[in-house]
Amino acid sequence: MRLDRRQFHSLALAFLTNGIVTHNARAAALDPAADRAVLALNRLSFGASAAAIEAFNGLGKRGWLDHQLSLRPEDDSALAGRLARATLRIEYEAGNDGKGHDWPARKADIPYRHLNATGPEILALINYDKPMDYEERIRPAREVQAASLIRAVHAEAQLREVMTQFWHNHFNVNALRDETTAANFPAYDRVMRDTALGNFRTLLGQMARSPSMLFYLNNEASRASPANENFARELLELHTLGAENYFNALYDDWKAVPGAVDGEATGYIDQDVYEVARAFTGWSYGDGRWIADGDEAPRTGAFHYIDAWHDPYQKRILGHEFRPNGAPLSDGDRTLDLLARHPGTARFISRKLIRRLVLDAPDDAFVDATADIFLAYADADDQLAQVVRFIVMSHAFDTTPPQKLKRPFEFLASLYRIAGAEVASPSLDFLWHLGRAGWAQHEQRPPNGPSDLTEEWANTNTVKGLVDLAFNAFEDWFGVTGFDPAAATPKTVSTWSYGFAHWVGVFGGDPTEARVMLAEMGEDPDAPLPLDNPEWNGWLMRTALGMSALTPHFLFR
Amino acid sequence: MAEPIVVVIFLRGGVDGLSLVAPAGDADYIAARPGEIRVDRKGHDAGRVLGNAAADADFRFHPQARELSELYGAGDLAVVHAAGLTDATRSHFDAEARMERGAPGAGDGGWLGRWLRAVQPDGVLPALAIGAAAPDSLRGAAEVAVAEDLSGLRLAGGHGYSTAIRATMARRLGDNAVIGAPLRRLLTLSGVLEDLIALDKDGNLKPYEPSVDYPDSPLSQSLLTLAQTIKLGLGLRVATVDYGGWDTHVGQAGTFSGLVAGLSGPLLAFWRDLGKHQERVSVVVMSEFGRRLKANDSGGTDHGHGNAIMVLGARIKGGRMLGRWPGLANDALDSGADLAITTDYRQVLSELMSGAMGFADNAALFPGFAPGSSLDLLR
Repeated sequence: MRLDRRQFHSLALAFLTNGIVTHNARAAALDPAADRAVLALNRLSFGASAAAIEAFNGLGKRGWLDHQLSLRPEDDSALAGRLARATLRIEYEAGNDGKGHDWPARKADIPYRHLNATGPEILALINYDKPMDYEERIRPAREVQAASLIRAVHAEAQLREVMTQFWHNHFNVNALRDETTAANFPAYDRVMRDTALGNFRTLLGQMARSPSMLFYLNNEASRASPANENFARELLELHTLGAENYFNALYDDWKAVPGAVDGEATGYIDQDVYEVARAFTGWSYGDGRWIADGDEAPRTGAFHYIDAWHDPYQKRILGHEFRPNGAPLSDGDRTLDLLARHPGTARFISRKLIRRLVLDAPDDAFVDATADIFLAYADADDQLAQVVRFIVMSHAFDTTPPQKLKRPFEFLASLYRIAGAEVASPSLDFLWHLGRAGWAQHEQRPPNGPSDLTEEWANTNTVKGLVDLAFNAFEDWFGVTGFDPAAATPKTVSTWSYGFAHWVGVFGGDPTEARVMLAEMGEDPDAPLPLDNPEWNGWLMRTALGMSALTPHFLFR
Repeated sequence: MAEPIVVVIFLRGGVDGLSLVAPAGDADYIAARPGEIRVDRKGHDAGRVLGNAAADADFRFHPQARELSELYGAGDLAVVHAAGLTDATRSHFDAEARMERGAPGAGDGGWLGRWLRAVQPDGVLPALAIGAAAPDSLRGAAEVAVAEDLSGLRLAGGHGYSTAIRATMARRLGDNAVIGAPLRRLLTLSGVLEDLIALDKDGNLKPYEPSVDYPDSPLSQSLLTLAQTIKLGLGLRVATVDYGGWDTHVGQAGTFSGLVAGLSGPLLAFWRDLGKHQERVSVVVMSEFGRRLKANDSGGTDHGHGNAIMVLGARIKGGRMLGRWPGLANDALDSGADLAITTDYRQVLSELMSGAMGFADNAALFPGFAPGSSLDLLR
């Protein structure tokens, strides 16, 4: 009989609590495969719930991966139902726009309405002739923030959610930068999710045309001349080639960059940044903006290319000559073509993906082999799925022990998944608590996104923050779940030690530790649980849950 | 006297040093900048003149920098202009990493981390990074605590079983290779803070009561925590504070004014709040690079090169502009575009660490750096 860790522990618990052997427990030993399932799920999902472990073990790693990669975002009707039923509070005081228009105070729990908003609906939110509170204007971003936790906890396509978060981190946007960035943010979230396992060039093109990104990095305002360099620089440094291929300290002339004179520059310098900025002049937004006298952008609430703002003359990017007066959008799109197929981009993205899915410091051979897959599938619709598959099926994936500390969002989502909690209509207070632990969900201001290196998270602030999350996540005032650990504790459990042992087991620990914990608490392990005092008993079981989660087994992936 | 303290306030995003301490009378400056992102010489929004300027260019603080001007006038604040990272990078993250590591190549931590390793200060809180994460400058030292405020250094504070939770975590994770060190520091600090600071009726640490009012700014929260930490006598020696948002590629005028006001007022409040503790505190205000001399076409400036570094302290020969001003003529600019650098930022930090912190081994802090002629920064 092969038992996974959870089954083993429930049997151990039965043994412990009843003093009798109900199953063939004495013959059971911890199955290393079960730990492998937990580890794989901690890397490829937002937490190894009992159901997920069962599914993983049933299908095997390859089968589970095939299934996950086959799931399309639109297939998850259960998740769609959850999002349709979810509500989110909107609350503000009465106010006015300073032009004589008032609005009343509002406090209401209302459904998400903006996740699929049309261009005109978005424009209505950023129409400053229409008086409304700031909270109304940024509401779409708030809905995405709230929905992100529902998705992480409940989406069937867990790997897609993990990858969606990866791309959000990679193509970081502070959704609350301004009202336009916020109002357009659901579309940005869709781009990240829909193409999370698709083709990188496609993702890059959609990102570069996304109004949220255009506003966040100011490209919507970039016109000839001089161009605004903000987007161009981050496109090269953060989105494609990476700082490892920025050679500005070595070369101050494009011809000096290795390979450049042959049109195969191995990296970039500031001259490429200037040229890329010129290539993207005019990539802007259809909000009726003034272009020139008698000329306005259309009011589409979507990407809009303004040819009059574009710098049309010849350019040289990574050693490639761009002829003057190219077709509309062609300078930018050709730039993206060059970047998406560049070996430097392949290595940079591959290293980051391995870092997310396996370990912080992969060896070069692993990165290079992954980059080869990235380039080999450059034209494939499922390029990124192939890269992920290669990483997950690698020897390193199976042999690397857990060593990455869960970041605060992953920690919180996995708490709910392992406990079996329902996250139906989270209030946004959880964002503040994540912030205290160092995580800004869709609100990170600098464009480099949150770090994915454990050494950046292994500090007092995050350790303290994770402890607070463990003890607060199930409190009513936390506002995320109505899940009551006391109600979820089996009715047969009657003493403190049994109660604590239950939650230790749920989180994959050794239930016999419960007695040690209770000794540290100065409590009698054999005292009956205060079942006649639900408030106290509820708090006690939430405490048991929190203490059970703060183990190496649960904290590391 | 208690031991000296150095504070690094890092203005992330690349502060426009040409607006913070502006060569307001320089013809090239006037020609390159549209009026709204240039410091004026007259009118109600004129900049605040600096005495003892580095060159005859009518240097002025930004009009919103009233308190910086006051600190400068009082002789507490010095300005080193045309300073920075001589490396040619214009990447935020690359420039920050290079400056904060302070050494070619990565791997042996940051410059403050090296100081901590060399000195090994005792005390329960020798190094504090105020914020959500430690900057690269503190990398490589196990002593670093990271928190937004002191309650962030109290593990499971206010929980009815906090003692037991701490014991359980110490048992399970105290020797963990990844989080053992920060956990042990939290466990120590939790007890110390609960001894030193009274608790309110909900079991939280009572808030700090400063001796002066701080203006409303994100920086104020950080500096309040810092002042509290210094006054509590926790053995603080180095602290870092981040104040971001300076990446003004678009619509710089309004954003910059707000940011400068948010820097200037809190810094003076902090300085006054320190009272007698001023004597042992030095503050460096720096950024990863300055911004382009010429504006772009969206009312902003792009990444530049040379910049102003400010140093505040009772030991500082303030009220002076230090370093050589290279001018802004096209052939004096770096790459024909940006303020050139005449003072390596490491020169400023080396003099500070040797003069104010009594640590003269520059080579340990900044391997490969040969100090130039003295700026004469310290009294």
